[in-house]
Amino acid sequence: MNKKAILLVSLLTLCGLLLLAACNKKENTEQSANTPQPAAAPAATPIDPATVATINGTVKFDGAAPKPAKIDMSQDPACKGANESENIVVDNGDLANVFVYVKDGLGNRTFDVPSAAVTLDQQGCKYHPHVLGVMAGQNIEIKNDDQTTHNIHPTPKDNREWNESQPPSTPAIEKSFAREEIMLPVKCNQHPWMKMYINVVKSPFYAVTDKSGKYEIKGLPPGDYTIAFVQEKLGEQDQKVTVGPKETKTVDQSFKPVAE
Amino acid sequence: MPDKPTPEQDPITSKSYAAYYLIAMVILMATLFWAMWDEAWGQRPWKAFQEQWKDRYSAFLNTARSKSLTSEKSVEQNPDFAALKQAYEQADQDTRAKAAEIRAQLDDANARLLAVQSVFTDRRAYVNALTYELETSNSPSAKASKQKEIDEYKEKKATVEYPDGKRVAYNFEDLEKTYNGIRDEKTKISLQLGAVLKPKTEAQAKLDEYIADHMVDLTPQQIDGLKKKVADWDPKIVQINVAEANIVDRCESCHLNTREPLKITAASMESKGEKKPDEYAEAFTTHPDPELLKIHDPEKYGCSPCHQGNGRATTSVEKAHGNYEHWLWPLFPKENAQAGCQNCHAGDMVLVSGDVQFQTINNGKDLFRQRGCNGCHRYEGYDKEPEDLNSIGQQIKQIENQKIDNLKQTAYLMKQADAAQSNEEANRLNTQAVDLRVANSKLDGRLQQLDFQSHSLMQDMKKIGPNLKDVRLKLNKNWIPVWLKKPTDFRPTTKMPNFRLTDHQIQAISAFIWQSGLTDPLPKHKPGNAIHGKELFEERGCLACHSMGEGDQMQGGTFAANLSRVGEKANYDYLVRWIHNARERTRPYCPYEKKDIGPEDYAKKGLPYQFDLEHSRCPNDGHELQVQNMTVMPSLRLSEEDAEDIATYLMTKKEKDPSAYPNAAYMDDPSLKAEGQKWVRHFGCAGCHEIAGMEDEGRIGTELTFEGSKPIERLDFALFTEKAQRGGDDAEPITDKEDLARLPDGPAHKPWYNHKGFFEHKLAEPNIFDKGMIKGETEALRMPNVHLTKEQVLDLTTFLMGSEETSLPDSYQYKPGDARHDIQEGWWIVKKYNCMGCHQFIPGQQTVLMGLKQYQDAQEQLPPKLLTEGARVDPEWLRKFLSNPALSTTDTNRDGVRPYLKVRMPTFYFSDNELRKLVRFFQALSQQPMPYIPEEVPVLTAKENDMARSLFSSSAAPCLKCHATGDPNHDKIATAPNFLLAKDRLKPDWVERWITDPQAISPGTSMPSGLFREQNNQWVFAGPTPPSFQGYTGDHRKLLTDYIFQLTPEEQRRVAASMPHAKAAIQPRTNNRQAAGQPLTPRAGGSR
Repeated sequence: MNKKAILLVSLLTLCGLLLLAACNKKENTEQSANTPQPAAAPAATPIDPATVATINGTVKFDGAAPKPAKIDMSQDPACKGANESENIVVDNGDLANVFVYVKDGLGNRTFDVPSAAVTLDQQGCKYHPHVLGVMAGQNIEIKNDDQTTHNIHPTPKDNREWNESQPPSTPAIEKSFAREEIMLPVKCNQHPWMKMYINVVKSPFYAVTDKSGKYEIKGLPPGDYTIAFVQEKLGEQDQKVTVGPKETKTVDQSFKPVAE
Repeated sequence: MPDKPTPEQDPITSKSYAAYYLIAMVILMATLFWAMWDEAWGQRPWKAFQEQWKDRYSAFLNTARSKSLTSEKSVEQNPDFAALKQAYEQADQDTRAKAAEIRAQLDDANARLLAVQSVFTDRRAYVNALTYELETSNSPSAKASKQKEIDEYKEKKATVEYPDGKRVAYNFEDLEKTYNGIRDEKTKISLQLGAVLKPKTEAQAKLDEYIADHMVDLTPQQIDGLKKKVADWDPKIVQINVAEANIVDRCESCHLNTREPLKITAASMESKGEKKPDEYAEAFTTHPDPELLKIHDPEKYGCSPCHQGNGRATTSVEKAHGNYEHWLWPLFPKENAQAGCQNCHAGDMVLVSGDVQFQTINNGKDLFRQRGCNGCHRYEGYDKEPEDLNSIGQQIKQIENQKIDNLKQTAYLMKQADAAQSNEEANRLNTQAVDLRVANSKLDGRLQQLDFQSHSLMQDMKKIGPNLKDVRLKLNKNWIPVWLKKPTDFRPTTKMPNFRLTDHQIQAISAFIWQSGLTDPLPKHKPGNAIHGKELFEERGCLACHSMGEGDQMQGGTFAANLSRVGEKANYDYLVRWIHNARERTRPYCPYEKKDIGPEDYAKKGLPYQFDLEHSRCPNDGHELQVQNMTVMPSLRLSEEDAEDIATYLMTKKEKDPSAYPNAAYMDDPSLKAEGQKWVRHFGCAGCHEIAGMEDEGRIGTELTFEGSKPIERLDFALFTEKAQRGGDDAEPITDKEDLARLPDGPAHKPWYNHKGFFEHKLAEPNIFDKGMIKGETEALRMPNVHLTKEQVLDLTTFLMGSEETSLPDSYQYKPGDARHDIQEGWWIVKKYNCMGCHQFIPGQQTVLMGLKQYQDAQEQLPPKLLTEGARVDPEWLRKFLSNPALSTTDTNRDGVRPYLKVRMPTFYFSDNELRKLVRFFQALSQQPMPYIPEEVPVLTAKENDMARSLFSSSAAPCLKCHATGDPNHDKIATAPNFLLAKDRLKPDWVERWITDPQAISPGTSMPSGLFREQNNQWVFAGPTPPSFQGYTGDHRKLLTDYIFQLTPEEQRRVAASMPHAKAAIQPRTNNRQAAGQPLTPRAGGSR
């Protein structure tokens, strides 16, 4: 403590002490009582079933359809039938296996997780379907209809990885993923060609394009949305859409081939 | 009126002093109050902290309690809890009636006991008193009379009035019996009560345990305990005092929450309405790493041994933190906090606790080694080999002298014995002579070991830079001066620092290096296939150490050189030899003669010109030769063709043609050589490079082992001393933009006259302290610019700040004598060879390869994780594998365990020394005892064998579908090792754990989990079991493991053949057992 301070302090102490004695500190006793609570998020407006809209459309492949590679399954005699790669499935310009979902615009709505499981079937050493959509927390029932052992090995980015064996004629395996993740790869280590993608989303507003490139998302409350189209090889494309009450809107999308 | 004579002034009361007194009194009072204030608060700033703490912490606890209540409620809503609760209530119900009944009995017994007790204790005291008198009376008559008195007293009856009003008279004996009787009764009833209440107390305990187990944070009860502690708190100095280590730390007088069981952040300690946490809030956080405190109990270690500062000071925050002139060990700033680790962990290369790596200090240690700092600066523990070699040489000399002395002495003793007077004398002398001969034989053994060790050390000795004796064979001559001008211009990520050489110095140095290079002819190679070379380069694992592409395009590791422009500098033939086996040396070096030995030396002795690890003796003097290039680059066991392909590919990596470099004819000018040598010596080039004639050059820099505790006056801030002390806007001397960017905190504004400031500036711009000085060419600071990033400067600064001479007793240093020492030693080797570029050692640790594009979709092609390596493999097998990863002496262009991986485990030519350390390291890391005694695997009966086979080959567990069998057709698609390796390679208990849950041992592995499930304490197959298992009650997992351990090649072939579609006809390939058993001859060095 330097000299100035000592002088100042000594002079001020007299008055200071008197003051201190006079007013006892009893000011902040109620401070502990009301502690700050994080403001609760405003409740989302419930969906009125009378006003819900539908989005549908077709996804096209804009270019020469690549010839699907043939897969040699001879290493396992239990894998019967022909097989070809499914990474780009184009029929007449229509692109199948595109995952379409409402990426943005639902605000803070939360949705009940359906109690019914979605099925992932292994048949002919192929996954059915090749692209699957599921809600976070919803069960996936994984069946093995082949006379050979498979192992199911998802390699997620944001969920937990696992790898389980499933011998023939054993009960289905039930699994779920807790966190949103698009194009989560699943493979079988015993049949290297076997590969599929699970898309885990938080809302029920998603679809996968069928062979004719068509999809439909129903029950959507009116509003402004970003719709994402995701293809395993061709990547993601987004579109902004506004739907009014009871409207049925067609949203088409096309993908261009990417250089390998 | 006559003038009244003016009275003389009263000498005493002439004038009032009241004003002075008043002032004096005010001052006095002020001083008094100040003294009191200073005593109570001024000198005790921690009191204010404690007051603030009481308020803020109790507010925090209130919030925490309500949260805890909520989470307790949610735990209580769990059905499991409800069941337990119901069980408790049921038990309570069941026991209530009976317990009440017993309690009544107990109360009754208590009351009766009380009634008897008062009378009994009285009388017993009287008897005791009489007995004492009896014992102390002297005459027999007195004794007799006392005895009589006692007897009479005992016979006299006393009345006890029981609670129910009954009165009973007892003599002493009966009274004693009754008393003891009631006491026994009471004990019995109590036990009975305990037994009856047992279900209830057990249910209660389960209930409490459930809550404690399922609560993430503390329970409300625990928080209430904390609240009470805070409410009852009296201001006091909190102190840790460890006399043994002279630690007195009062830090917790302000840092009151350091060890609280809840996680408390500064934000949660803010006082109301504050935007940013103030100094109180910052002080009241819990320790950020409570796990660390568990290992380093503050009651033993205190605070200051890790954090520094003045633990005793309590009068101000600055003083306590040691941030004042007179304290030599100021608190480490937050970003350099890990400097504190170095105090006790100087012997550790890797600091890791669980899966937490202490990255700042680890990187600092790594950089110090990897950037070649120890080429110029000695640092205890780093680059020990040359010193060890030296000390071994001295030991050898000493022992040899001792041997000669012993021989002389022996001869003398025997002579004496022969001429001795008596047989006794002769025998005594002869015995002495025999003893000495035995002693010499022991010394021979010791010498042999020292020889082995120096052989090992020669092998272990590495240089961070390449061997410059090979420049003529290796380099584009005209490239050399361009490189020396500024190495980072050619290769931004190079380890070679920038020496700020003048053009003249460059010319002289290039000329000297060039003219002192070897000129032996190199074998010529035909050009290879660059496309195949690129494939191999990307597949074999080169990118774990090397990188390709610059800037954002860079892929691969930073451990070794970036090869984007190697085509501009390299000579193709040399590059082929280097890729084929980097350890192959042009000429062996004899440290004894201090020269490179050539074919002429061998020819003189009529020896073939052959030198490798097996032929490492000097033909001239028999001393150990350096037969390898002193590089850590291993051999990938590539065929010559593959090496040619890779070299061809690398030669295409260039930005301009090698011929575009300006001609540097002066490099052949002999007049430059002597001057060049002067500069090479001046700049200490031989610290990192092998240079002809400079093999024994000493280090030119200052030793840094204790640099952090060097007095600040001895760090030369030169012309910037005053600026650094003062701070201010012109406090930053560095002006170069690139160098400014290396400063972790950017340009200095605050005073930086401390170790941190010195190190950071020195590392950012090593010659900054020459600025403004007039110095001659040879006087200027020599330290080159190591072109570090600011993160690297921070890491190295932290390392240097922690490099202190510690005052802590030796027992505080981490120098374990048990298996942990093996771990400590192993990390040095793991880091030395960059094992972590390919393998995962610590859960969650990223390897270089994991980050590469080509593995994103092919995780199974990555090298194996080594998280449980010591528990997995037999240490003896591991030693063999590490010294020859091909597990074969003939078939070497492959991987011995995982031939299906494109990436390859290279041959590192580990010395025996390093092999031993590595094997011990892995065993210790997995808590495995050494030496390993293999578990006896029971021989299966024929029936068991059939059963195991049927499981092994069933379609539900198609083991051979993925595991290699040795059949090339099958192994093309194999993704797992051959079972025939298991017997020698694996530990059975590990295999059992592995086949149960491989994902838990190696997350992400191709091997699936869920093959077995537990049933009646047995592990049974989870899929459909083969029919032969009908009625089998044994453990399926164990059965399969035993089968795998006794699998023969014939059996495997039979099984493979019987499996559908699996191609039969397995080559009777090298049986691994046989191969592993053979003596392995690691080869390095050229033979021609």
